[in-house]
Order: sequence, then structure tokens, then C-alpha cells
Amino acid sequence: MRLPLLFTVLAAPAFAGVPEVVSDHIQPGFAQFAQATQALAEAAGADCTAIEAPYQSAFDAWMGVSHLAFGPLEQGGRNLAVSFWPDTRGMVPKTVAKLIADEDAAALDPAAFAEVSVAGRGLYALETVLQEPYAQGSYTCTYAAAVADDLARVAREVQADWQAYGALLLDAGAEGNATYLSEKEAATAIYTALMTGLEFTSDTRIGRPLGTFDRPRPKRAEAWRSGRSLRNVTLSLQALRDLARALAGGEIPVTEAAFADALSVAADLDDPIFAGVADPMGRLRVEILQQRVDLVRDAVAGEIGTPLGLAAGFNSADGD
Amino acid sequence: MRRRHFLSALLASASLPALSWADAGNPAFLAAAREENGGYALFGLDNGGADLFRIPLPGRGHAAAAHPTAPEAVAFARRPGTFALVIDCVSGGVLHRLDAPEGRHFYGHGAFLEGGNLLVTTENDIDSGQGVLGLWARDAGYRRIGEIASGGIGPHELLRLPGDVIAVANGGILTHPDRGRDKLNLDTMRPNLSYVTVANGIEEVVELDAELHHASIRHLAYADGQVGFAMQWQGDLPDPAPLLGLHRKGGHPVLCSADLAEQMAMDGYAGSIAMAGGRVAITSPRGGRVHLFDTAGEFLQAVPRRDVCGVASAGAGFVVTDGLGGVLALDEGLSPLVSAPRAWDNHLVRLGG
Repeated sequence: MRLPLLFTVLAAPAFAGVPEVVSDHIQPGFAQFAQATQALAEAAGADCTAIEAPYQSAFDAWMGVSHLAFGPLEQGGRNLAVSFWPDTRGMVPKTVAKLIADEDAAALDPAAFAEVSVAGRGLYALETVLQEPYAQGSYTCTYAAAVADDLARVAREVQADWQAYGALLLDAGAEGNATYLSEKEAATAIYTALMTGLEFTSDTRIGRPLGTFDRPRPKRAEAWRSGRSLRNVTLSLQALRDLARALAGGEIPVTEAAFADALSVAADLDDPIFAGVADPMGRLRVEILQQRVDLVRDAVAGEIGTPLGLAAGFNSADGD
Repeated sequence: MRRRHFLSALLASASLPALSWADAGNPAFLAAAREENGGYALFGLDNGGADLFRIPLPGRGHAAAAHPTAPEAVAFARRPGTFALVIDCVSGGVLHRLDAPEGRHFYGHGAFLEGGNLLVTTENDIDSGQGVLGLWARDAGYRRIGEIASGGIGPHELLRLPGDVIAVANGGILTHPDRGRDKLNLDTMRPNLSYVTVANGIEEVVELDAELHHASIRHLAYADGQVGFAMQWQGDLPDPAPLLGLHRKGGHPVLCSADLAEQMAMDGYAGSIAMAGGRVAITSPRGGRVHLFDTAGEFLQAVPRRDVCGVASAGAGFVVTDGLGGVLALDEGLSPLVSAPRAWDNHLVRLGG
């Protein structure tokens, strides 16, 4: 039996921001990620020992889309194939070390490499490789190029898949759309990505290195080996602000002020890998940043979630 | 007392003629939900997911136990609740209110035994922290007639197996109502799957290896001599954490995982389980996906669906419900049946199965 008309009529005008999110935020973000990883793959093809700068650019571009974890990115483990973090058991260094020690032939064949464990692929596999110098012609060099190629392939596929998947968001509630049964569902998916992104930045990007007062964990900071921990917080906040603006489709002064405040605290922090969490003063400064991100969550919930009648998950937030 | 309530009370107290589920429209499923106005209700749904009846609840429901023949459902509050309501699904009236005895609280699940004469509920003996199964005699107006040990701490779902054997998911997590839903024994928790009969007590206790002691065994399904149990990991995930186990009485449990990336995507949490047509389905609202396995434990397929949690058998396939109001058939993929203006709560209860 099909959904009675009664329920669809109610939803129609409230979620005007969805098309803007798809065209102004999601599609440009994945296009940029595809372009940056393609540049990384080309650089690695030319000289696999000189990829530090394009690696950093590709990671920057990833921060523009890493919060868009629904749809194409959640299929086939692509999210982890790009970014295997947090890596609670140190699987990335172990997997990379084994692939290199074995001189695994998968690195010579893109199709075979696409089947390698997600812990041996993606940005964190590259970060691991880049910790030690290696020579042209070495297996490590070949492996680094294979990782870069694989990243570009995944980014290309995700960008392509978003063409069709974006259409599902836009015709949510239409007959035959088995993914989004109502416009509210489409708006909820985007709103959930926004709130989950803010939560991840607060609880995981900042919360993991904070640890507890008695046991700070600076080596749990995101991408600290490539000096990116604070940069990732800043770039994620900028991307999430971009998403919030597109979704709201109107003035959001409280949210704008909260983002500006959090970004200003991040800009003044001067602790690029959150090493400061190990001493009380440095820790306090990182905690303040975390609190400011939490204030952004409150602002978004009050200024975007409540007026649109959106909430991020019922069962996912409170199961049993 | 309103007239229809009076009538239904009369009917319930008479031994004949008894009403049947046909009088309630032959619902295929029961499910609790939060409605758009913030209130809660229990719904009876037909095979196509359409509403057959709606009964307001005083608070957020968790699971319901359906009587095998009479149109009665026992709706449990979320843990640590101290009452359950026996609802007449024809009139919508409350037939009985079950109050947990002094020193006990409910965990949110129950099941009927002995052809529907005995209701069994999972409960906490608050002082000792040990799990108990409360026994309630339906033919004596749901009078409390005793209790037996559940075989562990924190019993959550229980299931009637053929021969009135009770499978109990002892989740292992110690809680105390003074501390709400706080988990008080995460370092030492030791969940198990127990098989219990009212006559003989605990017949078999199945524990997993010590390194899996953070895997809280919470929800159960049964088909063809095999119990499926769904787990919820506590604390830091030792990825990849298995979330499904299969067990035959007297045998060893088989633990089941998907590939690394899919397993991690479940976020250490399975909310419900069902078995049908040679397949096992577990849901993860946190991961926004359903995982399907075969009955030997081989991973078959992941099906994405946001905030999905309720799952029940439907012929050789499944029906799932989610927090967005969706009721969807799950066979090879998902086919929407209904999009309702409410958030379906954790469980979808199959009737007559």
C-alpha cells in the first residue's frame, strides 16, 4: 500500500535548502576532492618521492566533504578507504608495514589494489609512508603511487555516483524513490550530516587528544604525524558552516556568530597538533575550542533544526 | 469507567466467548512510536505496514509482548520501568496494569508461555543486581505468581522456544534505578545467553570468550532450531567487533562479521534481530544499515537505511521500521511500504510467528 497523500502535503515547502546543498555544497566539494586527488596521483606518477604538497592539498579537499558520509561515501567501505581514522588498534601502520615488507604485488595492479584492506589504503596509509624517506624505484615508492592512484579512483567514483544520488535527494517523496520517502527524510539526512560533523569535530577530533585530565592523549590527535590536527578542525568548521548556510536558506545570525567565534579561537590557538593538551594551560585552551564547537551545535539545533522540525536520529541517539 | 472499557473488562473476565486477533483486524506487527506532537502510542500494523489500530501510551514504550491467541499486548516502558500495561487491542482499553514487585524493575521485554496463560518478564533484582524472570498468571488477572533466575545480570530480551524453553539474553550490564541508565560494571561485565524452563530453571548458559566480555547480548531471534543473538559493544571498540552470534542448544556459538569496513560501519551496535527464509537480519540505527547473513553465519549483504532499528520476519523476507516513520519490505533490497508521520521505536514485533 502506498503512502496516503495526506502526509506528503504537509512537508512540501519547508525544506527549500536541499537543492542548494546539493548544487552549492556537495557537488563542488566532491569535484574539488576528485581534482585534488587526481593532482596527487599525477604528481606521484611523475615522481613518487615528491608528493608531500599534493598530499596536503588532497587532505584539505577531503575536509570539505568528509562530513558527507551518507550515500556514495558509505557504499563499499569508501569512507574508510579514504580515511581510516580513528584507528583505535593501530591497524594502518601494521597493514602498511606488512604490505611493504611483503612487497605485495597488489601495488602493481590497480584492480588488485582496490581489494587491499581499507587500512592499507587512503590518506592515512600515505601519511604513514611519508614518515620515512624512500628512494625512486623502491617498493615503497611504487606503493605510495598505488595509494595515490586508488584515492583518485575512489574520489572519481564518489563524484560520479553523486550525480545520481543527488537526484534522489531532489525528488525525495516521489513515486519510485526508495531511498528518500519524503522531503523531510532528505532534509534530515543533510541535517544529520551537519550535526554529526560538528559532534565528530568536538568529541573525536578534539576530544580524543584531550583524553582525561589525568591522562591526556596527544598522540590520538587526528593526522598529527602530518601536522594537520588543528588545520582539520578549522577546515571542517568552514565546510560545516558552508553546509549550514546552504541548508538554512535564510539568515542564521546566531549560527554565524557561533561559527565565527569557534573559528577565531582555532585561529588563535597556535597548537597545530594539540601537543599542548599535556600541560594544564595548553589543555584549557583546547577545551575552550571544544566548548565553542559545542556552542555551534546548540546554535544549529536552535536556529536550523527546530524551525525545520528536524532532529538527528531517534533510535541512533537513544537505543537499548 | 467508560462503557466500552467496562464491556471489555467483562469480556476479559469471562472464559467464553473469547476475542481473537481477528477482532483487532488481524495485525501482522506491533510497534511503539513517538508521534509528531511528542506523545507515544502503540500501533498495530497490517502486512503492508498500514495502521490497524493506535493506542496511546503514557510514556516512551520499548517492546511489546503479544498474546498468541487473544488480542492482548503487554506494553513495557523503557528500562528501568516499574510498570507494564496489558492492552486490549480491540477496544484500546487497559485491561491490567502490571507493577513490578518491591525491589524489582522491568527491563522492557516479555513473552507468553503455556499457550498464553503465563507471561514472563525480564527484571532486575535491585539489591543483588541479579536478573530474574517474573511470572504472571494471565488467567488469574495477571497476578504475580513467582520468579526464577534469568541466569545472569541485566536480562533484556527473552524468547519462547518450542517446548516452552525460554532463551534469555543476559546483557551483563549492572544498573541501579538510583543511577538511571548508568552502567556500573563495565570492567567486569560477563553477558550470556541462557536457556531456562519454569520447571527446571537454568538448563544451559552460553558465554563468549573473555576478550568479548564487552559484547552485551541483548536481542534474540529463533528459526529452525537456531537462536540468533544480537550484541551491543560497550566502551572502546576492538574493531572489528562481531555483533551477531548463532547458537544451537548444546553446541558452540558461531560469531558472525562482515568485512572490515562494513563491520566498522555498524558502529558496534545492533538494535534488533530477526530470522526468516534462511537469513538473519540485524539492524544498526547508529550505522544506518541492515546486515544480512545466512544461517551458517556468512555475511551476505549490507542495506543502507537511516535510523533503521525495528525488524521482523515477513514470509521469507523481512519488514523494517525506522525513526523517520518508514515501514519498508526487505527482500533483496528495500521497498517502501508506508511513510508514517512518527518515529518508530526500537522494535517491530511479529504476531503469530
